[in-house]
Amino acid sequence: MNARRTSLIALAAAGALGLAACSGGTSAGGGGGSTSGSGGEGDGVVTVWHYFSDPNQVALMDAYKEKFESENDATVENVYVPYDQMNSKLVSAAGAGTGPDVVVFNGADAATLALGGVLAPLDEQWADFADADQFPDSVLHSVDDQLYAVQGYVNLLGLWYNQDILDEIGVEPPTTMAELEDAMAAAKDAGYGGITLSGLPQSQGEWQAYPWITDAGFDYENPDADALAAGFERVRGWVDNGWLTQEAVTWDQTVPFQQFAAGKTAFAQNGNWQIGTAESDADFAYGVVPLPLGDTGGVYLGGEGEGIGAHADDPELAWEYLQSTYLDAKGQELAPDLVGSIPSRADTAQADVVTSNDLLDPFARTIADFGASYPATSIPPAAVADVQLTVGQAWSAVIGGQQTPQAAADQAVAALKSQIG
Amino acid sequence: MFLLPAALFLGLFSLYPLVQLVRMAVSQVTAATLNADWVFTGLDNVRRGFETGQTGPAISRTLVFVVVVTVLGMLVGFGAAIALRTTGRWSAWLLALMVFVWALPPVVNGSVWKFLLNDAGLLNTVLLSTGLRETPVPFLYDQHWALFSVAFVNAFAVIPFNTLVFRAALMTIDPEVFEAAQLDGASKWQQIRHIMVPSVRPTTLVLLILTLVYGFRSFDFIYVMTYGGPGTATNTLPFLGYLQAFVRYDYGLGAATSALAVVGVLVLAVVYARSIKREEADG
Repeated sequence: MNARRTSLIALAAAGALGLAACSGGTSAGGGGGSTSGSGGEGDGVVTVWHYFSDPNQVALMDAYKEKFESENDATVENVYVPYDQMNSKLVSAAGAGTGPDVVVFNGADAATLALGGVLAPLDEQWADFADADQFPDSVLHSVDDQLYAVQGYVNLLGLWYNQDILDEIGVEPPTTMAELEDAMAAAKDAGYGGITLSGLPQSQGEWQAYPWITDAGFDYENPDADALAAGFERVRGWVDNGWLTQEAVTWDQTVPFQQFAAGKTAFAQNGNWQIGTAESDADFAYGVVPLPLGDTGGVYLGGEGEGIGAHADDPELAWEYLQSTYLDAKGQELAPDLVGSIPSRADTAQADVVTSNDLLDPFARTIADFGASYPATSIPPAAVADVQLTVGQAWSAVIGGQQTPQAAADQAVAALKSQIG
Repeated sequence: MFLLPAALFLGLFSLYPLVQLVRMAVSQVTAATLNADWVFTGLDNVRRGFETGQTGPAISRTLVFVVVVTVLGMLVGFGAAIALRTTGRWSAWLLALMVFVWALPPVVNGSVWKFLLNDAGLLNTVLLSTGLRETPVPFLYDQHWALFSVAFVNAFAVIPFNTLVFRAALMTIDPEVFEAAQLDGASKWQQIRHIMVPSVRPTTLVLLILTLVYGFRSFDFIYVMTYGGPGTATNTLPFLGYLQAFVRYDYGLGAATSALAVVGVLVLAVVYARSIKREEADG
């Protein structure tokens, strides 16, 4: 199949599905993509596709741009692509022989993008990278034994609490599930909400569900419907008790934190990336503790993967950019400062900017106590998106009352068994 | 000769994607194979869609959605057209407002409605403060309310267009007909029933089909307001096709689901074409 025909088919495929589904996306390959180079010289511009709209996260992108441009005779062009459109645009663009130089994407989607021909293997660059030993395996994204992306930082969930509310109801930040539920009950009696989280029927929902369902004994290696139902049952109980609003099914992860920052809810299950938002929006005392999970509980170690586009017009410059920013010790110190992310380098994780931050400490402890690979290693690469959607929809169905916890768990596990194999 | 540009345009942007959609629907296409040769699998994708138990409920939801959008869109559109039939400052102002609503991008429109319909939104605030409800109405997070709420918003977005078209049709009625009716003692309702409804019948048929097609294409408001949730409660055929193709990256499965929606639209398109032809013949 020649390149022209491939491009046409990719364009038409996206167009056809877009017409049928009336997708709001723009055409694939538009907006800052670089044309495919055949090993020729680049244009001195590093095009970076990302999906950040939060001002603090945008500030980090701008800081990386500034850092790289000050160190190199090159220009960085940061291109915003909405989160929901990122992967489909990348896959369509790759089919048309175009795409960005650098991709900053949800690390869990590494397999999808690698299989879709979006990312270039990084094995050669990584073998020559002097600081490679600073990075733990959990932040390296490999598919079929080839490295495609590296995470410059780790993001994970913790339990944010409103200190003012806890003082008013006379409880300490919870360390066990029973303490959490007692505190939510007391908060409700005092006229506050118990907890906010996301129940959106997609990957964000699965990400938020994971700690609670693994705490109940569920895992993807041997999916058990009763364990999944037990996890769902607990959270549905929070809805029935009035501690968690059913409205959470319409919230992505940003909205529940805004609700928490409004000061009317005792707890929020949310991530370290909200530190900047908390500083700017919350006018009450707050803190973070690890999610109160048991021995089987797990918290995904997420974050954005950074890779080089398969059709980057200057892969060498793109690799220079990554070395200067996400993989650089000084570059990684910018992330905790601006967005509260935890550096993935072993040396930078011990830097003052991390160790002197009280809010980051609970997240660091969570990594040690509950850290889990994202996505779970037992999920085959090609099934990751299926699994996330299946569990995200079941999670949403339970919180929204569309299904009972047991029915949702039975249906989800039946689907998971065929997806995971 | 003069038709050539239009034919080329239609062929490139309508026919070719449609052919590719059908090809994709009968092939195994994933993120890994999108840019390679597609393996023909016949109706396997359609079978898989029904076997997973997703396609059947999605068809039912789509039909409910289409009925709500069409009934509301047509009735309220016609009612508004009657109310705005007069010329004057108020009707001009309201028409301008309607054009504005019609021209709003669905993402903006949907976001505003999502805000209005949430627990702390305007509608629930009014209902709670007036004592009509003790708890907020779960417009977007109850499985039954959510489908009707999104369908209502979809209808709201199509009402301005229907109003404008109906109004244009009503304006063609000779004013002397109404004067004669008034002299004969016809009530307002009788004027509507015996003058306006028959006069706009050809327009109604065309508009009915366009509204049905609009309802069938329902995607953007669902995407913005519920993302198909809670659970799968608002997964209509177009949205299910989106999830399968662009979230699960099973392009073949998504194309098969979308093709089912396209079949529905095509049937309506044929009816539309025939009604246009008949209207032209009558005219």
